Amino acid sequence: MTRSSIRALAFARPVIQGLTVLNLVYALGLAALFVFSFFIEGWPTRPLGDFASTHPQLGNGLRAIVVIGFVAALIVHTILRRLLAMVDTVRDGDPFILENAERLTAIAWSVLALEVLRLGVMTIGSIVWEPGRLGEFSFTPWLAVLLLFVLSGVFTHGARLRADLEGTV
Amino acid sequence: MAIVVRLDELLHARRITLTELAARVDITLANLSILKTGKAKAIRFSTLEAICTALECQPGDLLARDPTLPAEE
Repeated sequence: MTRSSIRALAFARPVIQGLTVLNLVYALGLAALFVFSFFIEGWPTRPLGDFASTHPQLGNGLRAIVVIGFVAALIVHTILRRLLAMVDTVRDGDPFILENAERLTAIAWSVLALEVLRLGVMTIGSIVWEPGRLGEFSFTPWLAVLLLFVLSGVFTHGARLRADLEGTV
Repeated sequence: MAIVVRLDELLHARRITLTELAARVDITLANLSILKTGKAKAIRFSTLEAICTALECQPGDLLARDPTLPAEE
């Protein structure tokens, strides 16, 4: 292992733990926002003014986006937990195991789900406050999803080869 | 695994212990033990050659197929 990768590994654990905490705070914030939206008088007209009055579905749209954001935060939480477990196996010196390949596959599906949720947010936006205009579509995240699936396949194969090699005398 | 390793029988017939064989073939006792107990998933030709040379046998004497055992998944 190179010195830079050892240094990156040393940073990875606290960074992932920090991101996990931030993500939980984000999820709690979204949950609070969703709940309070039912109790704040005149929401969303009062905080958003004329914009809310000219867009009648704005309240429901924002609530739907908050719910999607909350679900996305839960998915991100599972990604971070799996990533942390993978980093721990690297620290322990045995990362090429089938469990990590399964974790990578699960992360790939999770990132795919996040992208689908992002499309959902874009669709809500185009319906509620920008009729007929869909937000900018980017191929990069989909490429990342594809790359993750390919990597998980390579990892699965590598882990099987490693298991075979371990039993070779 | 339907492949059976007959190392134990060969050692017994030649009155050699696993430790002695390990010293002769330059293979660790742990690896030979894995082979003897049938826990090995694969065997290198070099290992097979070394064991057969040390025990003066053919690969067929060391390995056999037992159809009554389940095949590997």
